[in-house]
Amino acid sequence: MSTIAVGKSVPRFDAREKVTGEAVYIADIQFPGTLHVKVVRSTIPHGIIKSIHTEEAEKAEGVYGIITGEKADFLVGICIHDQPPLARRKVRYVGEPVVAVVAETEKAAIKAARLVRIEYEELPHVLNPLDAIKEGAPLIHEDLGSYFHLPTFNPKPGTNIFHHYHVEKGNIEEGFRKADVIIERNYSFPHIAHAQIEPHGAIARWSKGNELHIYSSTQAPFIVRSVLSRVFNLPSTSVRVTVPYLGGGFGGKSDLTIEPLTAYVARFFPGKWVKFILTREEMYFGSLIGRGCYSTLKMGFKKDGRLIAAKASMHFAGGAYGDYAINIVTGAGHNSTGPYEIENVYVDSYGIYTNTPLVGAYRGYGHPEAHWQTERHMDIAARELGIDPVALRLKNILKPGSENNLGQIIKESNGNLEASIKIAVNEIGLGKEKRETEEIARDHNVRIIKNTSKGLDRRAIPVITKKEEERFAVGRAIAPLMKSPVMATNAGSSAIIKANKDGTFNLLVSSIDMGQGSITALSQIAAETLGIPVEKVRHYRAADTEVTPYEWQTVASSTTWKAGSAVRKAALSVLDKFKETASKVFDVSPSELEVRDGKVWYGNESIDFKELAKGYVFPDGHAIGGPVIGTGAVVPHGLTYPDKKTGRGELAAEWTFGCQAAEVLVDRKTGRIRVRKFVTVLDIGKAINPLMAKGQVEGAVVQGMGAALNETLVYGEDGRVRNASLTDYKIPTPEDAPEELVTIFLETPQPDGPFGARPLAEHGIVSVAPAIANAVRDAIGIDLYDLPLNQDRLLEAIYQREKGKGGDK
Amino acid sequence: MSVEIKINVNNRDYRLIVDEEDTLLYVLRERLHLTGTKEGCGNGECGACAVLVDGEPVRSCIILAAEMNGKNIVTVEGLSKVEKDGTVKLSPIQESFIEEGAIQCGFCTPGFVVASSALLEKTKDPTDEEIEEYLSGHLCRCTGYATILKAVRKAAEKTR
Repeated sequence: MSTIAVGKSVPRFDAREKVTGEAVYIADIQFPGTLHVKVVRSTIPHGIIKSIHTEEAEKAEGVYGIITGEKADFLVGICIHDQPPLARRKVRYVGEPVVAVVAETEKAAIKAARLVRIEYEELPHVLNPLDAIKEGAPLIHEDLGSYFHLPTFNPKPGTNIFHHYHVEKGNIEEGFRKADVIIERNYSFPHIAHAQIEPHGAIARWSKGNELHIYSSTQAPFIVRSVLSRVFNLPSTSVRVTVPYLGGGFGGKSDLTIEPLTAYVARFFPGKWVKFILTREEMYFGSLIGRGCYSTLKMGFKKDGRLIAAKASMHFAGGAYGDYAINIVTGAGHNSTGPYEIENVYVDSYGIYTNTPLVGAYRGYGHPEAHWQTERHMDIAARELGIDPVALRLKNILKPGSENNLGQIIKESNGNLEASIKIAVNEIGLGKEKRETEEIARDHNVRIIKNTSKGLDRRAIPVITKKEEERFAVGRAIAPLMKSPVMATNAGSSAIIKANKDGTFNLLVSSIDMGQGSITALSQIAAETLGIPVEKVRHYRAADTEVTPYEWQTVASSTTWKAGSAVRKAALSVLDKFKETASKVFDVSPSELEVRDGKVWYGNESIDFKELAKGYVFPDGHAIGGPVIGTGAVVPHGLTYPDKKTGRGELAAEWTFGCQAAEVLVDRKTGRIRVRKFVTVLDIGKAINPLMAKGQVEGAVVQGMGAALNETLVYGEDGRVRNASLTDYKIPTPEDAPEELVTIFLETPQPDGPFGARPLAEHGIVSVAPAIANAVRDAIGIDLYDLPLNQDRLLEAIYQREKGKGGDK
Repeated sequence: MSVEIKINVNNRDYRLIVDEEDTLLYVLRERLHLTGTKEGCGNGECGACAVLVDGEPVRSCIILAAEMNGKNIVTVEGLSKVEKDGTVKLSPIQESFIEEGAIQCGFCTPGFVVASSALLEKTKDPTDEEIEEYLSGHLCRCTGYATILKAVRKAAEKTR
């Protein structure tokens, strides 16, 4: 199909604003007379607030007021309402906001905050979810039983379990009875930080007419509006949420973060803008963190490699409040045993309160945790079975006609996992013979787009001398993946397109472009549908609940696919209106008309969009039609709630399948792992913008390398985050980009996606850690089960093996 | 304590009374409203606040404004040229960042383009060691860096 806008690598439309410093982010918004907030946070992990002394702080220069949680008679949350905006009666983690100091400058707020004294009565605390479910563990929420929650969630009052999700398929006992080889291992994925370079911020103002306007760095303006209107008992029309440019999200700015606190505090200063921007240190505990999963996986195989039984039990350290992690528990449960067809499955996924910062969505949403266990497990199983790890996977993968754990049948149009694996194997050099990747794609009758990027040359493969052979080892391995979005069954998207008299169009949606490029991709979808060059579409830059139409939230890699479908429908409705007017001009039925090149055609006669945009004016002056506005709306197709007993149902709207592969160089002397080459193959249906799609994958891979090799939040015994800075919590730097970063897209069209596109954004992170760990196993024969694979851990493992414990190569 | 300083920012002279504890970043953003320079960490760890002081890239979040007396400062806003007729001409490095997809969320971008500009002022043919020297302290959480490296190499070619 020849296209004019879709499939083109047009540079992003917001790039010029961003490269010149013009793009406005939350901290850049400066209203005259703004008040500034500084929060005093809990210094203990769990305890009763005995008293709060604010007298001295109140007298400090520039202070407008000191706010506590006392007057907040509501709990915040979406799926389960369990969190006050400022601590009330109890604190549940080090860093929990207890007092907000409001002053005329940030400096004055900081100085006054130092004068606030809080006395606590400490309670026993628990940091690890496996400890938190033990008999006699400290209870973090005594009132769990009284919290409102949606019926699809399953809290266990009297325990620290805020959600239990269970999936059952076939008969697990019988599955293990029939198995020839059974393998069981424990795995862990620690808490990590999103480390967006832009800190969170919010600026709120209550008008004297009791209306709330809040600017926020959020991925979810309509969620924020919905919760704020509930807790302040206001109609939706009295809460306005505006989102400027967002400096990175990765899930950490989805759902709710600091908005309820900011709005609650601003409530006491009507008429004033109240601004709250987190410091870098606060980014590690003052908003949301990611992951934190301890799991046990047991799999049963027949001798020939057929995987017939899988039992997974996953324990998530959800932090002190569970609302934001609650769906991750479900999402991980959905795909906890990877992209394989298994007859007998038994999954328990638990969300558990811990006295740690709050866990929320983080790129991958349960899937990196699930694939860490499953893809490590498949490699271990292959060795025990004496089968090639690639062959073992190919034998068991989900194929067209397979039934997944949830009871859904996979169709050919869901994407080509088999081709993805074969291409990744070939690219990383694990195939029997090196073939052209295009040739493999042809075998599978699938279109591909390939790109190779280069890191810094000085990271080139060191020449390994004979003497150093013992020191360095090279390993290669793969890890397939699948991800489906986890979303409300009515997670809707909508779009508005306004036609202008010069043949240009304004596009309005409430998707947030946090860097992934939705402004450009959605414009391309609109332009392609309208049949005009993409430069003629202008996407409104902000999202604003009072202006732009409803969007559930910008999460789950769903914007191109779902909001894109709404945009396509809106563009089609513009064309319908053009045709309706044109049909009256030509005096024919609209069905006899065609649209191309910015005109509506009847045979050889045409009317330009420009003549239809405001309604059509006949030569005698009389007009018909009217200004044209198109609208489009979608919800995911046919999603249902899970069955109460089996946890199964139409729970995934679609899947993106793929495979990742790593080539690593392991230095036995220092324990350092270098990723020399990394390959990602994903079936994304259609690359709407190949340049930006590649950017999503490369960014996700390097972010995933951070989690695989280095990143972990380190807690002291008291639950304090010990490495809350970018110096101590190291994220990848320019020299960490792999020497060779290969991205290959397959294009098996998604029937319900715009121009065949399916979700892409998170997927590049899903199997990074297992691909690297499997390659490390290939290099030095050591199996690792706990992330990150840092130098200490690797050296310890090498040392233990030399002592004759652990390892088997 | 207040201090008076005279500085030139993006070819304009300013005379300012600043608090001696004010950082250059604070003065640029809050006093001169040049918000293109970003605060990512406030500790000199991320590079988002980089500006040129007498041609050298510095972290404006950990340098005091009081020490800037007599200095020439260029921020991201000063990298593009405004012609006499008001048209804006981007620098080669800005153009390459756009063309190569080296920008995603854009929050780290001002720091990267400022540092890269300094690099290309120094050499038209930077080696990978030199690129690393200038960019290693700059953090980007979105791109994975490969497109940024490509943009810098491409801009170098353009300016040669």
